[in-house]
Amino acid sequence: MYREAFLAALTVFVCYGGNWLFGQTMIERPLVVGCIAGIIFGDMRAGIIMGASLEAIFMGAVDIGGALSAEPVTATVLATTFSIVLNVNEKAALALAVPIGVLAAFISMFMKNVVMNLFAPLVDKYAKDNNPRAIAIMHYSMWFINYFVFSLITFFSVLEGAKPVQHMINSIPDNLMAGLSATGGLLPAVGFAILMRMLWSKKLAPYFFLGFIMVAYLNLPSVAVAALGIILVLVISFKDKQLLDMENKQKELEKRPVAAAGAGVSNNETAEEQEEEDFFS
Amino acid sequence: MKLNENISKEDRKMLNGIFWRSFTVFASRAGATKAHAPGFIYSITPALNRYYKDDPEGRCEAMMRHTTWYNITQNVGTFVMGLVASMEKKNAQEKDFDAESIVALKTSLMGPLSGIGDSIFWGVIRVIAAGVGISLATQGSILGPILFLLIYNIPSILTRYYLTYMGFSLGSSFIEKIYANGSMKILNKAASTLGLLMIGSMTASMVKFESKLSVPIAGGKPILIQTYLDQLFKGLIPLSITLLCYWLLSKKVNVNWILLGVLVLAIILGLLGVV
Repeated sequence: MYREAFLAALTVFVCYGGNWLFGQTMIERPLVVGCIAGIIFGDMRAGIIMGASLEAIFMGAVDIGGALSAEPVTATVLATTFSIVLNVNEKAALALAVPIGVLAAFISMFMKNVVMNLFAPLVDKYAKDNNPRAIAIMHYSMWFINYFVFSLITFFSVLEGAKPVQHMINSIPDNLMAGLSATGGLLPAVGFAILMRMLWSKKLAPYFFLGFIMVAYLNLPSVAVAALGIILVLVISFKDKQLLDMENKQKELEKRPVAAAGAGVSNNETAEEQEEEDFFS
Repeated sequence: MKLNENISKEDRKMLNGIFWRSFTVFASRAGATKAHAPGFIYSITPALNRYYKDDPEGRCEAMMRHTTWYNITQNVGTFVMGLVASMEKKNAQEKDFDAESIVALKTSLMGPLSGIGDSIFWGVIRVIAAGVGISLATQGSILGPILFLLIYNIPSILTRYYLTYMGFSLGSSFIEKIYANGSMKILNKAASTLGLLMIGSMTASMVKFESKLSVPIAGGKPILIQTYLDQLFKGLIPLSITLLCYWLLSKKVNVNWILLGVLVLAIILGLLGVV
Protein backbone atom coordinates (compact mmCIF):
# COMPACT_ATOMS: atom_id res chain seq x y z
CA MET A 1 0.00 0.00 0.00
CA TYR A 2 3.01 2.33 0.46
CA ARG A 3 3.48 2.57 -3.28
CA GLU A 4 -0.17 3.49 -3.93
CA ALA A 5 -0.19 5.96 -1.06
CA PHE A 6 2.94 7.64 -2.39
CA LEU A 7 1.54 7.82 -5.94
CA ALA A 8 -1.75 9.29 -4.72
CA ALA A 9 0.13 11.89 -2.65
CA LEU A 10 2.27 12.75 -5.67
CA THR A 11 -0.83 13.25 -7.81
CA VAL A 12 -2.28 15.65 -5.25
CA PHE A 13 0.96 17.62 -5.07
CA VAL A 14 1.35 17.89 -8.85
CA CYS A 15 -2.30 18.75 -9.59
CA TYR A 16 -3.13 20.92 -6.59
CA GLY A 17 0.23 22.61 -6.12
CA GLY A 18 0.81 22.82 -9.86
CA ASN A 19 -2.53 24.51 -10.44
CA TRP A 20 -1.68 27.35 -8.08
CA LEU A 21 1.96 27.60 -9.13
CA PHE A 22 1.04 27.86 -12.82
CA GLY A 23 -1.71 30.41 -12.95
CA GLN A 24 -4.80 28.41 -11.97
CA THR A 25 -4.77 26.52 -15.25
CA MET A 26 -7.56 24.22 -14.01
CA ILE A 27 -5.37 21.14 -13.69
CA GLU A 28 -6.92 20.87 -10.22
CA ARG A 29 -10.38 20.17 -11.62
CA PRO A 30 -11.73 16.61 -11.24
CA LEU A 31 -11.86 16.14 -15.04
CA VAL A 32 -8.07 16.47 -15.22
CA VAL A 33 -7.20 15.01 -11.82
CA GLY A 34 -9.31 11.91 -12.49
CA CYS A 35 -7.56 11.38 -15.81
CA ILE A 36 -4.08 11.74 -14.27
CA ALA A 37 -4.91 9.50 -11.29
CA GLY A 38 -6.32 6.98 -13.75
CA ILE A 39 -3.12 6.95 -15.80
CA ILE A 40 -0.99 6.55 -12.66
CA PHE A 41 -3.06 3.64 -11.35
CA GLY A 42 -3.23 1.94 -14.72
CA ASP A 43 -6.86 2.47 -15.70
CA MET A 44 -7.15 5.76 -17.56
CA ARG A 45 -10.67 5.13 -18.83
CA ALA A 46 -12.04 4.53 -15.34
CA GLY A 47 -10.23 7.64 -14.09
CA ILE A 48 -11.67 9.83 -16.82
CA ILE A 49 -15.23 8.60 -16.25
CA MET A 50 -14.83 9.09 -12.51
CA GLY A 51 -13.49 12.58 -13.15
CA ALA A 52 -16.47 13.46 -15.32
CA SER A 53 -18.96 12.51 -12.58
CA LEU A 54 -16.96 14.34 -9.93
CA GLU A 55 -16.61 17.45 -12.12
CA ALA A 56 -20.38 17.74 -12.17
CA ILE A 57 -20.59 17.33 -8.38
CA PHE A 58 -17.82 19.84 -7.67
CA MET A 59 -18.84 22.26 -10.43
CA GLY A 60 -19.71 24.97 -7.94
CA ALA A 61 -16.76 24.30 -5.67
CA VAL A 62 -14.73 27.28 -6.77
CA ASP A 63 -12.08 29.06 -4.76
CA ILE A 64 -13.20 32.66 -4.99
CA GLY A 65 -11.40 35.02 -2.68
CA GLY A 66 -10.15 32.15 -0.54
CA ALA A 67 -13.61 30.93 0.47
CA LEU A 68 -14.07 27.35 -0.58
CA SER A 69 -17.07 25.06 -0.19
CA ALA A 70 -15.39 21.79 -1.13
CA GLU A 71 -11.85 20.96 -2.15
CA PRO A 72 -11.96 18.80 -5.27
CA VAL A 73 -8.35 17.56 -5.63
CA THR A 74 -8.00 15.43 -2.51
CA ALA A 75 -11.54 14.20 -3.00
CA THR A 76 -10.98 13.16 -6.61
CA VAL A 77 -7.63 11.50 -5.96
CA LEU A 78 -8.91 9.50 -2.98
CA ALA A 79 -12.12 8.49 -4.73
CA THR A 80 -10.26 7.39 -7.87
CA THR A 81 -7.60 5.56 -5.85
CA PHE A 82 -10.19 3.66 -3.81
CA SER A 83 -12.23 2.89 -6.89
CA ILE A 84 -9.36 1.56 -9.03
CA VAL A 85 -6.96 0.07 -6.48
CA LEU A 86 -9.48 -1.36 -4.02
CA ASN A 87 -12.11 -2.16 -6.62
CA VAL A 88 -14.67 -0.19 -4.65
CA ASN A 89 -18.02 0.25 -6.39
CA GLU A 90 -17.83 3.45 -8.45
CA LYS A 91 -21.01 4.95 -7.02
CA ALA A 92 -19.88 4.35 -3.46
CA ALA A 93 -16.54 5.98 -4.24
CA LEU A 94 -18.39 9.01 -5.65
CA ALA A 95 -20.50 9.34 -2.53
CA LEU A 96 -17.36 9.06 -0.43
CA ALA A 97 -15.72 11.93 -2.33
CA VAL A 98 -18.20 14.50 -1.07
CA PRO A 99 -17.49 14.41 2.68
CA ILE A 100 -13.76 14.15 1.90
CA GLY A 101 -14.01 17.29 -0.22
CA VAL A 102 -15.84 19.26 2.48
CA LEU A 103 -13.33 18.16 5.14
CA ALA A 104 -10.38 19.05 2.90
CA ALA A 105 -11.88 22.49 2.29
CA PHE A 106 -11.89 23.13 6.04
CA ILE A 107 -8.24 22.12 6.23
CA SER A 108 -7.42 24.34 3.27
CA MET A 109 -9.08 27.37 4.82
CA PHE A 110 -7.41 26.68 8.15
CA MET A 111 -4.00 26.49 6.48
CA LYS A 112 -4.42 29.55 4.28
CA ASN A 113 -6.15 31.87 6.71
CA VAL A 114 -4.83 30.79 10.09
CA VAL A 115 -1.51 28.93 9.83
CA MET A 116 -0.14 31.14 7.06
CA ASN A 117 -0.77 34.22 9.23
CA LEU A 118 2.55 33.31 10.81
CA PHE A 119 4.23 34.61 7.67
CA ALA A 120 2.40 37.95 7.53
CA PRO A 121 4.90 39.82 9.78
CA LEU A 122 7.76 38.44 7.66
CA VAL A 123 6.30 40.12 4.57
CA ASP A 124 6.55 43.49 6.30
CA LYS A 125 10.01 42.72 7.61
CA TYR A 126 11.49 41.74 4.25
CA ALA A 127 9.89 44.73 2.55
CA LYS A 128 11.48 47.00 5.16
CA ASP A 129 14.83 45.28 4.62
CA ASN A 130 14.45 46.05 0.91
CA ASN A 131 14.93 42.37 0.13
CA PRO A 132 12.87 41.15 -2.82
CA ARG A 133 14.85 37.90 -2.94
CA ALA A 134 13.69 36.97 0.56
CA ILE A 135 10.10 37.70 -0.43
CA ALA A 136 10.47 35.47 -3.49
CA ILE A 137 11.92 32.65 -1.39
CA MET A 138 9.17 33.01 1.19
CA HIS A 139 6.54 33.11 -1.57
CA TYR A 140 7.69 29.75 -2.91
CA SER A 141 8.26 28.20 0.54
CA MET A 142 4.71 29.01 1.59
CA TRP A 143 3.52 27.37 -1.59
CA PHE A 144 5.54 24.24 -0.87
CA ILE A 145 4.45 23.96 2.78
CA ASN A 146 0.77 24.35 2.02
CA TYR A 147 0.59 21.74 -0.72
CA PHE A 148 3.01 19.38 0.98
CA VAL A 149 0.58 19.23 3.90
CA PHE A 150 -2.16 18.14 1.50
CA SER A 151 0.07 15.45 0.02
CA LEU A 152 0.80 14.14 3.51
CA ILE A 153 -2.90 14.03 4.32
CA THR A 154 -3.53 12.03 1.16
CA PHE A 155 -0.61 9.71 1.86
CA PHE A 156 -1.88 8.75 5.31
CA SER A 157 -5.51 8.60 4.19
CA VAL A 158 -4.65 5.95 1.60
CA LEU A 159 -2.25 4.13 3.89
CA GLU A 160 -4.48 3.98 6.95
CA GLY A 161 -7.88 4.48 5.38
CA ALA A 162 -7.90 1.85 2.67
CA LYS A 163 -8.80 -1.16 4.82
CA PRO A 164 -11.50 0.50 6.95
CA VAL A 165 -13.02 2.15 3.87
CA GLN A 166 -13.17 -1.14 2.00
CA HIS A 167 -14.68 -2.86 5.00
CA MET A 168 -17.20 -0.07 5.53
CA ILE A 169 -18.32 -0.01 1.92
CA ASN A 170 -18.74 -3.78 1.80
CA SER A 171 -21.06 -3.67 4.77
CA ILE A 172 -23.35 -0.89 3.50
CA PRO A 173 -26.94 -2.14 3.12
CA ASP A 174 -28.62 -1.81 -0.29
CA ASN A 175 -31.07 1.00 0.47
CA LEU A 176 -28.34 3.11 2.08
CA MET A 177 -26.26 2.49 -1.02
CA ALA A 178 -29.16 3.71 -3.17
CA GLY A 179 -29.32 6.86 -1.05
CA LEU A 180 -25.59 7.40 -1.41
CA SER A 181 -25.75 7.10 -5.18
CA ALA A 182 -28.68 9.52 -5.19
CA THR A 183 -26.46 12.09 -3.43
CA GLY A 184 -24.16 11.97 -6.45
CA GLY A 185 -27.12 12.87 -8.63
CA LEU A 186 -28.43 15.68 -6.45
CA LEU A 187 -25.24 17.36 -5.22
CA PRO A 188 -24.45 19.11 -8.53
CA ALA A 189 -27.58 21.19 -7.76
CA VAL A 190 -25.68 22.93 -4.96
CA GLY A 191 -22.78 23.69 -7.30
CA PHE A 192 -25.03 25.19 -9.95
CA ALA A 193 -26.84 27.23 -7.31
CA ILE A 194 -23.50 28.76 -6.25
CA LEU A 195 -22.74 29.72 -9.84
CA MET A 196 -26.24 31.12 -10.30
CA ARG A 197 -25.68 33.36 -7.28
CA MET A 198 -22.90 35.00 -9.28
CA LEU A 199 -24.86 35.59 -12.46
CA TRP A 200 -28.56 35.67 -11.64
CA SER A 201 -30.75 38.71 -12.16
CA LYS A 202 -34.51 38.80 -12.61
CA LYS A 203 -34.26 40.03 -16.20
CA LEU A 204 -31.85 37.27 -17.20
CA ALA A 205 -33.59 34.43 -15.38
CA PRO A 206 -35.48 33.23 -18.49
CA TYR A 207 -32.18 32.23 -20.11
CA PHE A 208 -31.57 29.74 -17.29
CA PHE A 209 -34.88 28.05 -18.06
CA LEU A 210 -34.20 28.24 -21.79
CA GLY A 211 -30.96 26.36 -21.25
CA PHE A 212 -32.77 23.80 -19.11
CA ILE A 213 -35.42 23.14 -21.76
CA MET A 214 -32.84 22.97 -24.56
CA VAL A 215 -31.40 19.90 -22.86
CA ALA A 216 -34.37 18.38 -21.00
CA TYR A 217 -36.73 18.39 -24.00
CA LEU A 218 -34.58 19.02 -27.08
CA ASN A 219 -31.69 16.81 -25.91
CA LEU A 220 -29.12 19.16 -27.43
CA PRO A 221 -25.46 18.32 -26.66
CA SER A 222 -23.56 20.93 -24.68
CA VAL A 223 -21.49 22.11 -27.64
CA ALA A 224 -24.70 22.95 -29.48
CA VAL A 225 -26.08 24.80 -26.45
CA ALA A 226 -22.85 26.79 -26.14
CA ALA A 227 -22.79 27.66 -29.85
CA LEU A 228 -26.46 28.72 -29.90
CA GLY A 229 -25.82 30.68 -26.70
CA ILE A 230 -22.93 32.59 -28.23
CA ILE A 231 -25.02 33.49 -31.29
CA LEU A 232 -27.89 34.62 -29.08
CA VAL A 233 -25.59 36.73 -26.90
CA LEU A 234 -23.95 38.35 -29.93
CA VAL A 235 -27.31 39.34 -31.38
CA ILE A 236 -28.44 40.79 -28.05
CA SER A 237 -25.16 42.64 -27.52
CA PHE A 238 -25.28 44.28 -30.96
CA LYS A 239 -28.75 45.51 -30.18
CA ASP A 240 -27.66 46.75 -26.74
CA LYS A 241 -24.67 48.51 -28.24
CA GLN A 242 -26.91 50.31 -30.70
CA LEU A 243 -29.21 51.45 -27.92
CA LEU A 244 -26.25 52.54 -25.84
CA ASP A 245 -24.75 54.58 -28.67
CA MET A 246 -28.05 56.34 -29.17
CA GLU A 247 -28.31 57.06 -25.47
CA ASN A 248 -24.78 58.40 -25.28
CA LYS A 249 -25.41 60.62 -28.29
CA GLN A 250 -28.59 61.89 -26.74
CA LYS A 251 -26.75 62.72 -23.54
CA GLU A 252 -24.04 64.56 -25.42
CA LEU A 253 -26.54 66.61 -27.34
CA GLU A 254 -28.35 67.53 -24.15
CA LYS A 255 -25.14 68.50 -22.43
CA ARG A 256 -23.91 70.80 -25.16
CA PRO A 257 -25.17 74.35 -24.95
CA VAL A 258 -26.79 75.56 -28.13
CA ALA A 259 -23.94 77.98 -28.68
CA ALA A 260 -23.78 78.72 -32.37
CA ALA A 261 -20.26 77.50 -33.11
CA GLY A 262 -20.39 74.36 -30.97
CA ALA A 263 -23.77 73.31 -32.27
CA GLY A 264 -22.62 73.70 -35.84
CA VAL A 265 -19.72 71.31 -35.35
CA SER A 266 -21.71 68.72 -33.44
CA ASN A 267 -24.50 68.78 -36.01
CA ASN A 268 -22.01 68.13 -38.74
CA GLU A 269 -20.55 65.23 -36.82
CA THR A 270 -23.82 63.59 -36.08
CA ALA A 271 -24.94 64.03 -39.64
CA GLU A 272 -21.81 62.29 -40.82
CA GLU A 273 -22.19 59.48 -38.34
CA GLN A 274 -25.79 59.14 -39.32
CA GLU A 275 -24.79 58.72 -42.94
CA GLU A 276 -22.24 56.13 -42.03
CA GLU A 277 -24.76 54.15 -40.05
CA ASP A 278 -27.31 54.33 -42.84
CA PHE A 279 -24.66 53.06 -45.20
CA PHE A 280 -23.89 50.05 -43.02
CA SER A 281 -27.44 49.14 -42.21
CA MET B 1 -3.99 45.56 -31.05
CA LYS B 2 -1.50 48.40 -31.24
CA LEU B 3 -0.47 48.16 -27.64
CA ASN B 4 3.22 47.54 -28.10
CA GLU B 5 4.01 50.49 -30.31
CA ASN B 6 4.78 53.15 -27.76
CA ILE B 7 6.48 50.86 -25.29
CA SER B 8 10.28 50.80 -25.23
CA LYS B 9 12.19 47.56 -25.55
CA GLU B 10 13.25 47.56 -21.88
CA ASP B 11 9.70 48.22 -20.75
CA ARG B 12 8.47 45.36 -22.88
CA LYS B 13 11.02 43.07 -21.28
CA MET B 14 9.84 44.19 -17.86
CA LEU B 15 6.17 43.65 -18.75
CA ASN B 16 6.93 40.16 -20.02
CA GLY B 17 8.65 39.53 -16.69
CA ILE B 18 5.48 40.61 -14.87
CA PHE B 19 3.36 38.44 -17.17
CA TRP B 20 5.41 35.30 -16.40
CA ARG B 21 5.70 35.97 -12.68
CA SER B 22 1.97 36.67 -12.42
CA PHE B 23 1.28 32.96 -12.99
CA THR B 24 2.52 32.31 -9.44
CA VAL B 25 0.64 35.19 -7.83
CA PHE B 26 -1.71 32.93 -5.86
CA ALA B 27 0.90 30.27 -5.03
CA SER B 28 1.17 31.58 -1.50
CA ARG B 29 -1.41 33.13 0.76
CA ALA B 30 -0.06 35.03 3.74
CA GLY B 31 -3.07 34.67 6.00
CA ALA B 32 -6.33 36.55 5.99
CA THR B 33 -4.88 40.04 6.42
CA LYS B 34 -2.38 40.14 3.57
CA ALA B 35 -3.75 37.41 1.30
CA HIS B 36 -1.68 37.44 -1.87
CA ALA B 37 0.57 40.41 -1.12
CA PRO B 38 3.82 38.39 -1.40
CA GLY B 39 2.76 37.11 -4.82
CA PHE B 40 1.93 40.63 -5.92
CA ILE B 41 5.28 42.03 -4.79
CA TYR B 42 7.06 39.13 -6.44
CA SER B 43 5.16 39.75 -9.69
CA ILE B 44 5.92 43.48 -9.92
CA THR B 45 9.56 43.13 -8.81
CA PRO B 46 10.81 43.58 -12.42
CA ALA B 47 9.15 47.01 -12.49
CA LEU B 48 10.53 48.04 -9.10
CA ASN B 49 14.02 46.89 -10.04
CA ARG B 50 13.87 48.80 -13.29
CA TYR B 51 12.53 52.14 -12.10
CA TYR B 52 14.28 52.34 -8.73
CA LYS B 53 17.60 51.06 -10.02
CA ASP B 54 19.63 53.87 -8.44
CA ASP B 55 17.25 54.53 -5.58
CA PRO B 56 17.27 51.68 -3.03
CA GLU B 57 15.22 53.74 -0.61
CA GLY B 58 12.55 54.31 -3.23
CA ARG B 59 12.37 50.62 -3.98
CA CYS B 60 12.09 49.82 -0.29
CA GLU B 61 9.22 52.28 0.09
CA ALA B 62 7.50 50.83 -2.96
CA MET B 63 7.75 47.31 -1.57
CA MET B 64 6.34 48.42 1.76
CA ARG B 65 3.45 50.11 -0.04
CA HIS B 66 2.46 46.83 -1.63
CA THR B 67 2.45 44.65 1.50
CA THR B 68 -1.27 45.35 1.83
CA TRP B 69 -4.10 42.92 1.04
CA TYR B 70 -4.24 41.89 -2.60
CA ASN B 71 -6.73 39.64 -4.37
CA ILE B 72 -7.99 39.91 -7.95
CA THR B 73 -9.04 37.06 -10.27
CA GLN B 74 -5.54 36.25 -11.33
CA ASN B 75 -5.65 36.44 -15.11
CA VAL B 76 -7.44 39.80 -14.94
CA GLY B 77 -5.25 41.13 -12.13
CA THR B 78 -2.34 41.63 -14.55
CA PHE B 79 -4.13 44.78 -15.66
CA VAL B 80 -3.51 46.24 -12.21
CA MET B 81 0.07 44.98 -12.25
CA GLY B 82 0.73 46.82 -15.53
CA LEU B 83 -1.02 49.89 -14.18
CA VAL B 84 1.01 49.83 -10.96
CA ALA B 85 4.18 49.48 -13.03
CA SER B 86 3.33 52.63 -15.00
CA MET B 87 2.51 54.54 -11.81
CA GLU B 88 5.71 53.44 -10.08
CA LYS B 89 7.54 54.67 -13.16
CA LYS B 90 5.94 58.09 -12.76
CA ASN B 91 6.64 58.07 -9.04
CA ALA B 92 10.32 57.36 -9.67
CA GLN B 93 10.54 60.17 -12.21
CA GLU B 94 8.46 62.90 -10.62
CA LYS B 95 9.33 64.19 -7.18
CA ASP B 96 5.86 65.43 -6.27
CA PHE B 97 3.91 62.35 -7.34
CA ASP B 98 1.44 61.21 -4.71
CA ALA B 99 2.64 57.66 -3.97
CA GLU B 100 -0.40 56.89 -1.84
CA SER B 101 -2.58 57.12 -4.94
CA ILE B 102 -0.94 53.94 -6.29
CA VAL B 103 -2.28 51.80 -3.46
CA ALA B 104 -5.59 53.64 -3.43
CA LEU B 105 -6.16 52.97 -7.11
CA LYS B 106 -5.00 49.37 -6.84
CA THR B 107 -7.41 48.75 -3.98
CA SER B 108 -10.31 50.47 -5.68
CA LEU B 109 -9.94 48.30 -8.80
CA MET B 110 -9.96 44.99 -6.90
CA GLY B 111 -13.73 44.78 -6.50
CA PRO B 112 -14.89 45.65 -10.02
CA LEU B 113 -12.13 43.66 -11.76
CA SER B 114 -12.69 40.54 -9.66
CA GLY B 115 -16.42 40.84 -10.20
CA ILE B 116 -16.17 40.80 -13.97
CA GLY B 117 -13.22 38.36 -13.96
CA ASP B 118 -14.92 35.80 -11.73
CA SER B 119 -18.14 35.83 -13.66
CA ILE B 120 -16.53 35.58 -17.12
CA PHE B 121 -13.83 33.05 -16.30
CA TRP B 122 -15.38 31.02 -13.49
CA GLY B 123 -19.02 31.40 -14.35
CA VAL B 124 -18.94 31.25 -18.14
CA ILE B 125 -15.76 30.01 -19.82
CA ARG B 126 -15.06 27.32 -17.25
CA VAL B 127 -18.68 26.17 -17.33
CA ILE B 128 -18.64 25.92 -21.14
CA ALA B 129 -15.29 24.12 -21.05
CA ALA B 130 -16.52 21.71 -18.39
CA GLY B 131 -19.78 21.11 -20.27
CA VAL B 132 -17.91 20.08 -23.40
CA GLY B 133 -15.30 18.17 -21.40
CA ILE B 134 -17.77 16.23 -19.27
CA SER B 135 -19.89 15.12 -22.22
CA LEU B 136 -16.81 13.58 -23.87
CA ALA B 137 -15.30 12.24 -20.66
CA THR B 138 -18.41 10.32 -19.63
CA GLN B 139 -17.66 8.09 -22.63
CA GLY B 140 -14.13 7.61 -21.29
CA SER B 141 -12.47 9.71 -23.98
CA ILE B 142 -9.21 11.49 -23.13
CA LEU B 143 -10.38 14.32 -25.39
CA GLY B 144 -12.64 15.36 -22.49
CA PRO B 145 -9.91 16.62 -20.15
CA ILE B 146 -7.79 17.89 -23.07
CA LEU B 147 -10.54 19.99 -24.63
CA PHE B 148 -11.54 21.22 -21.17
CA LEU B 149 -8.02 22.57 -20.59
CA LEU B 150 -7.73 24.12 -24.07
CA ILE B 151 -11.12 25.85 -24.05
CA TYR B 152 -10.41 27.41 -20.67
CA ASN B 153 -6.73 28.23 -20.94
CA ILE B 154 -6.42 29.77 -24.40
CA PRO B 155 -8.68 32.75 -23.63
CA SER B 156 -7.41 32.89 -20.06
CA ILE B 157 -3.73 33.17 -20.97
CA LEU B 158 -4.37 35.61 -23.82
CA THR B 159 -6.33 37.82 -21.43
CA ARG B 160 -3.54 37.66 -18.88
CA TYR B 161 -0.99 38.74 -21.51
CA TYR B 162 -2.91 41.57 -23.16
CA LEU B 163 -4.17 43.02 -19.90
CA THR B 164 -0.59 43.35 -18.62
CA TYR B 165 0.15 45.61 -21.58
CA MET B 166 -3.19 47.39 -21.46
CA GLY B 167 -2.78 48.24 -17.79
CA PHE B 168 0.62 49.74 -18.53
CA SER B 169 -0.29 51.76 -21.60
CA LEU B 170 -3.97 52.65 -21.16
CA GLY B 171 -4.01 53.21 -17.44
CA SER B 172 -6.92 53.65 -15.12
CA SER B 173 -8.73 56.10 -17.41
CA PHE B 174 -9.58 53.15 -19.65
CA ILE B 175 -11.47 51.29 -16.95
CA GLU B 176 -13.26 54.45 -15.89
CA LYS B 177 -14.22 55.12 -19.49
CA ILE B 178 -15.72 51.72 -20.22
CA TYR B 179 -17.62 51.89 -16.94
CA ALA B 180 -18.86 55.39 -17.73
CA ASN B 181 -19.97 54.79 -21.33
CA GLY B 182 -21.76 51.58 -20.40
CA SER B 183 -19.67 49.08 -22.40
CA MET B 184 -18.94 47.24 -19.16
CA LYS B 185 -22.65 46.78 -18.57
CA ILE B 186 -23.10 45.16 -21.98
CA LEU B 187 -20.13 42.86 -21.41
CA ASN B 188 -21.45 41.92 -17.99
CA LYS B 189 -24.91 41.23 -19.33
CA ALA B 190 -23.59 39.12 -22.20
CA ALA B 191 -21.43 37.06 -19.84
CA SER B 192 -24.27 36.51 -17.39
CA THR B 193 -26.72 35.55 -20.14
CA LEU B 194 -24.40 32.95 -21.60
CA GLY B 195 -23.47 31.68 -18.15
CA LEU B 196 -27.09 31.25 -17.05
CA LEU B 197 -27.98 29.48 -20.29
CA MET B 198 -25.11 27.03 -19.80
CA ILE B 199 -25.91 26.47 -16.13
CA GLY B 200 -29.54 25.83 -17.05
CA SER B 201 -28.51 23.25 -19.63
CA MET B 202 -26.12 21.57 -17.21
CA THR B 203 -28.79 21.47 -14.51
CA ALA B 204 -30.87 19.46 -16.95
CA SER B 205 -28.10 17.06 -17.90
CA MET B 206 -26.23 16.62 -14.61
CA VAL B 207 -28.63 16.95 -11.70
CA LYS B 208 -30.30 13.58 -11.62
CA PHE B 209 -33.19 12.17 -9.68
CA GLU B 210 -35.19 9.07 -10.37
CA SER B 211 -37.83 7.68 -8.05
CA LYS B 212 -38.63 4.01 -8.02
CA LEU B 213 -41.81 4.50 -6.03
CA SER B 214 -44.86 2.95 -7.56
CA VAL B 215 -48.53 2.86 -6.80
CA PRO B 216 -49.92 -0.66 -6.86
CA ILE B 217 -53.18 -1.09 -8.69
CA ALA B 218 -55.49 -3.94 -7.94
CA GLY B 219 -55.33 -6.45 -10.76
CA GLY B 220 -53.03 -4.33 -12.92
CA LYS B 221 -49.49 -3.17 -13.46
CA PRO B 222 -48.24 -0.81 -10.73
CA ILE B 223 -47.88 2.79 -11.87
CA LEU B 224 -44.43 4.34 -11.58
CA ILE B 225 -44.48 7.77 -9.96
CA GLN B 226 -41.52 8.81 -12.12
CA THR B 227 -43.58 8.49 -15.34
CA TYR B 228 -46.09 10.95 -13.92
CA LEU B 229 -43.39 13.36 -12.87
CA ASP B 230 -41.87 13.24 -16.36
CA GLN B 231 -45.21 13.86 -17.99
CA LEU B 232 -45.80 16.84 -15.74
CA PHE B 233 -42.47 18.46 -16.57
CA LYS B 234 -39.26 16.71 -17.51
CA GLY B 235 -36.64 17.11 -14.80
CA LEU B 236 -39.10 18.70 -12.39
CA ILE B 237 -37.37 17.44 -9.25
CA PRO B 238 -33.78 18.36 -10.28
CA LEU B 239 -34.97 21.81 -11.33
CA SER B 240 -36.88 22.40 -8.10
CA ILE B 241 -33.97 21.27 -5.96
CA THR B 242 -31.53 23.51 -7.81
CA LEU B 243 -33.85 26.49 -7.44
CA LEU B 244 -34.37 25.66 -3.76
CA CYS B 245 -30.60 25.60 -3.20
CA TYR B 246 -30.31 28.94 -4.99
CA TRP B 247 -33.09 30.41 -2.87
CA LEU B 248 -31.41 29.19 0.34
CA LEU B 249 -28.10 30.69 -0.79
CA SER B 250 -29.72 34.02 -1.53
CA LYS B 251 -31.15 33.91 2.00
CA LYS B 252 -27.51 33.74 3.17
CA VAL B 253 -27.66 30.16 4.39
CA ASN B 254 -24.12 28.77 4.70
CA VAL B 255 -23.23 26.63 1.72
CA ASN B 256 -21.92 23.79 3.89
CA TRP B 257 -25.31 23.43 5.55
CA ILE B 258 -26.95 23.21 2.15
CA LEU B 259 -24.46 20.55 1.04
CA LEU B 260 -25.11 18.61 4.22
CA GLY B 261 -28.87 19.05 3.81
CA VAL B 262 -28.85 17.62 0.27
CA LEU B 263 -26.65 14.75 1.45
CA VAL B 264 -28.98 13.88 4.32
CA LEU B 265 -32.09 14.29 2.16
CA ALA B 266 -30.77 11.86 -0.45
CA ILE B 267 -29.75 9.30 2.15
CA ILE B 268 -33.14 9.49 3.88
CA LEU B 269 -34.92 9.07 0.54
CA GLY B 270 -32.70 6.04 -0.08
CA LEU B 271 -33.47 4.51 3.30
CA LEU B 272 -37.19 5.04 2.72
CA GLY B 273 -36.94 3.29 -0.62
CA VAL B 274 -37.97 6.34 -2.65
CA VAL B 275 -34.89 6.25 -4.87
